[in-house]
Amino acid sequence: MAADVHNKGASWEVKNGNLAPVDRLQKDRSDSPTPGLVEGTEPGAGQEGAMFVHAQSFEDLTAEGEPNTNDRSAETGDLSPAVSVEAVARNAQEEVLEEGEEEREGSSEPAREEETKQVRSSNKAKDEDVTSETWRSHRKHLFVLSEAGKPIYTRYGTEEALSSIMGVMMLLMSFLEDKKNIIRSIHADGYRVVFLRKSPLILVGVSRTSCSDRELTPRTSNRQSYDLRRLLAGSEHLTDSLLQLLDRDPGLLLSAVMCLPLADSARDVVSSSLQAAKSKNLVFSILLAGNRLVTLVRKKDQFLHHMDLHLLFNLVGSSSAFRQGEGWTPICLPKFNPAGFFHAHISYLEPASDLCLILVSTDREDFFNLSDCKTRFLERLRKRSAYQALQEALSMPSYPVSQVGIPELRHFVYKSKSSGLYTSPDLPVPYQAVEEHERLIGLYQNLHSCLHHPTRPLRYMYCCRETENLYALVTSGFELYLCFSPLGTKALAVSAVPKLVKWIRKEEDRLFILSPLTY
Amino acid sequence: MLMIRPRMASGTQEKQYTPSLLSFFIYNPKFGPREGEEEKKILFYHPIEIEKNEKIRNVGLCEAIVQFTRTFCPTKPAKSLHTQKNRQVFHEPEENYWMVMVVRNPMVEKPNKDGKPPTVEYQEDEIIDSVYGSVLKQCYSMYKLFNGTFSRAFDAGGVELLIQKLEKFFYRYLQTLHLQSCDLLDVFGGIAFFPLDKMTYLKIQSFVNRVEESLSLVKYTAFLYNDQLIWSGLEQEDMRILFKYLTTSLFPRHTEPELAGRDSPLRPELTGNLLHYGRFLTGPANLKDPDAKFRFPRIFVNTEDSYEELHLIVYKAMSAAVCFMVNAAVDLSREFCEQLDSLVGPQLTLLASDICEQYNINRRISGPEKEPQFKFIYFNHMNLAEKSTIHMRKTTSVSLTSVHPDLMKILGDINCDFARVDEDEEIIVKAMTDYWVVGKKSDQRELYVILNQKNANLIEVNEEVKRLCATQFNNIFFLD
Repeated sequence: MAADVHNKGASWEVKNGNLAPVDRLQKDRSDSPTPGLVEGTEPGAGQEGAMFVHAQSFEDLTAEGEPNTNDRSAETGDLSPAVSVEAVARNAQEEVLEEGEEEREGSSEPAREEETKQVRSSNKAKDEDVTSETWRSHRKHLFVLSEAGKPIYTRYGTEEALSSIMGVMMLLMSFLEDKKNIIRSIHADGYRVVFLRKSPLILVGVSRTSCSDRELTPRTSNRQSYDLRRLLAGSEHLTDSLLQLLDRDPGLLLSAVMCLPLADSARDVVSSSLQAAKSKNLVFSILLAGNRLVTLVRKKDQFLHHMDLHLLFNLVGSSSAFRQGEGWTPICLPKFNPAGFFHAHISYLEPASDLCLILVSTDREDFFNLSDCKTRFLERLRKRSAYQALQEALSMPSYPVSQVGIPELRHFVYKSKSSGLYTSPDLPVPYQAVEEHERLIGLYQNLHSCLHHPTRPLRYMYCCRETENLYALVTSGFELYLCFSPLGTKALAVSAVPKLVKWIRKEEDRLFILSPLTY
Repeated sequence: MLMIRPRMASGTQEKQYTPSLLSFFIYNPKFGPREGEEEKKILFYHPIEIEKNEKIRNVGLCEAIVQFTRTFCPTKPAKSLHTQKNRQVFHEPEENYWMVMVVRNPMVEKPNKDGKPPTVEYQEDEIIDSVYGSVLKQCYSMYKLFNGTFSRAFDAGGVELLIQKLEKFFYRYLQTLHLQSCDLLDVFGGIAFFPLDKMTYLKIQSFVNRVEESLSLVKYTAFLYNDQLIWSGLEQEDMRILFKYLTTSLFPRHTEPELAGRDSPLRPELTGNLLHYGRFLTGPANLKDPDAKFRFPRIFVNTEDSYEELHLIVYKAMSAAVCFMVNAAVDLSREFCEQLDSLVGPQLTLLASDICEQYNINRRISGPEKEPQFKFIYFNHMNLAEKSTIHMRKTTSVSLTSVHPDLMKILGDINCDFARVDEDEEIIVKAMTDYWVVGKKSDQRELYVILNQKNANLIEVNEEVKRLCATQFNNIFFLD
């Protein structure tokens, strides 16, 4: 059986790692989950192909910026039948290249001005003395500057006050480049400074946390694609909130998305309603609940990168403008195509609810079409009385870790590699304070970076500390991070893994989206 | 001097280069604060052939980085700089004196077809900062042991004297650095202690006391057996670097004559003395030689407070070696050396054979040595005690380890984790090669174990380590 599964696994290996696995039959799914599960059969693995393009590692994500990504998108274009989206995207790309830097910045964000003003005024936290101790003691700094050394963004303080520091950053960077070398990072006791050039921007991150620069770099670079398009038009708050998300949400770390736990019958209804409400130029229909995914319907052959989805989460979560009505905004999904633009119809199902519908189209004149799609979707939803179930699921907390029934287990994060989805229980008492929450995520980050070390990766890592015991493992099918109380023993941790995986298998209908739909 | 050691991988044409020393320099920004005077800052620069402006630029970069990091934390400036091609490690041992070591990242050279130059791939994650930071600190300690502090030299003879001293010392010392074989042991820089029963230990203690009593000039004494320390009167920090010097430089230089036969021309000094095996490792090679010079190397200890300059006399009989340290103000004469030789020689010969006997008995009791399933490194920060079964031997040229370098690096990673958090911790990992690596930190002690049990699970590994602690460290407490 195992060998059988392995063979199946090999056959999905597609050339560029960019296409989702081929469809599989129900019987391929193994009954008794063990740590030896192969990718695609672990609990939470999608049945009919993944929704996301999933990167195997951070390296995939950071793989040398723009030219590469362009190549890749061109490649996908060749492989899949030339879909209109691709063409549009590529046209947009060429257009943009012609227009040059300045234009590119401007054109990306025409519909954002009102919001920007609103944010500018709420930016009080920024007026901080950059020579003060408080400024220095921030845990993570991020600076963005242009290649000429001009300040563009800083997380704390004002860009103007920091211009001299940024000038030095620029000089350090170019000094080493003169020698045909590249600056990576500077390390000191208790903090580090990481440099990254992503033309036309330079990013410099300063971190006081224990996470390694291996993490910091890709994280900054993930942000980059974002910065390039959004922040230049003056929406610093998006970057601010994204940075905060990085500290608190394991999804970005794991390159995965969390689903709203929902009975599969209810989810099916929602999905099919969404599927039915289609339109010619519609590429993705996404229903979000906070920063959890309820469902996603996509055009056949089009895959959304989880990173892009995180950017959408962030976009929606960080501005209240969409609450008031239907929003229509051009968006760039940098992992899908870093130079092309989509147009998104963003609206909450109800002003007071957390449910947010994002409809992504290729046509900039599509607003009314999509608005119509939304109405049709809502009608269908009400008719099949799924709305109630959705509301109920939303009002309840995710699930407590005690449901799993493993003593001393405080928290866990489980990621199914093939579907790019993860699940995690509510934060238990010791981690509910923001500081402790971020500390826990920091611990996970540390485990993650050790397991995924570029030259010395690990299979298991068990870490016994005064405040908690941590256990992390990577198999070909999943990644699992467990946090036990200090009273947990190693024996307990070892026995907890199969037990937990079994529980997730039992609950997978509820915790994951197993059968993603296409139009 | 580039220490490139190409290693041909079997079957392919790829060339692997180990990390090597690119440059090493010492500067003081206060010596040339004005523009146009930058060269005066530079006190030492290796390699010497580098063009002046290039030196100035490289020193300038280090200054800039240190200054830059002060904006984020004024009291903790940069320790290292990572670039694609190399690592730079910074150390400020004395105020305003900066030492910088630039190490090239290991790289793989892949030949290209059509006569194109080969592509070079740098392996940026291979070098562990703490290892090379420690090597740099060791460079300073070694310099200080033989030359005293930078500022003393500057006070005594100005920049000229300091530059002269630095050049004289580092020119030779840098050639003895073997960066490719540096690992966790360099981070610890510990001292290996010789395990001994109480009786023999007391015998040694009384021997040391007797000698110090009769030779009142002797200020400090240290006793070693088999390159392991038994007794030392020096401060720990001083002993640490002296131990390093003895075991990696002085002793290995003298093992060859000992291994040579009795009639070999390599050991002429023994011909005249049949009463005992004692001889000087520093100072006169042969006391009977009428032209013998009674000059001993000078060392500096307690540089923080009393700042003492001492003669270092190392005397050895069989496997036992004793260091006698005498105030440098006293001139050591032929009479003193003869007195020392006749007093210490016979006693030490006897003592050495006693220790040897005892050692053999102990080894027989602990049973025949079979290849264990594990290898370990132990280090205690309190007394600098260190023990490794991973390293087969450590000589001037290479330290041979019996495990894969990647595993050593995992040990280094775990050590960095421990250093970050100031609390007791235990980390158990399983590498992709299926080796288990366990790191334990309890109070001031650190223990690292590598287990080669591919099919063991976490619980079995834990049991195995417990057993190891019980047999090897039965009276040392480790947190469970």
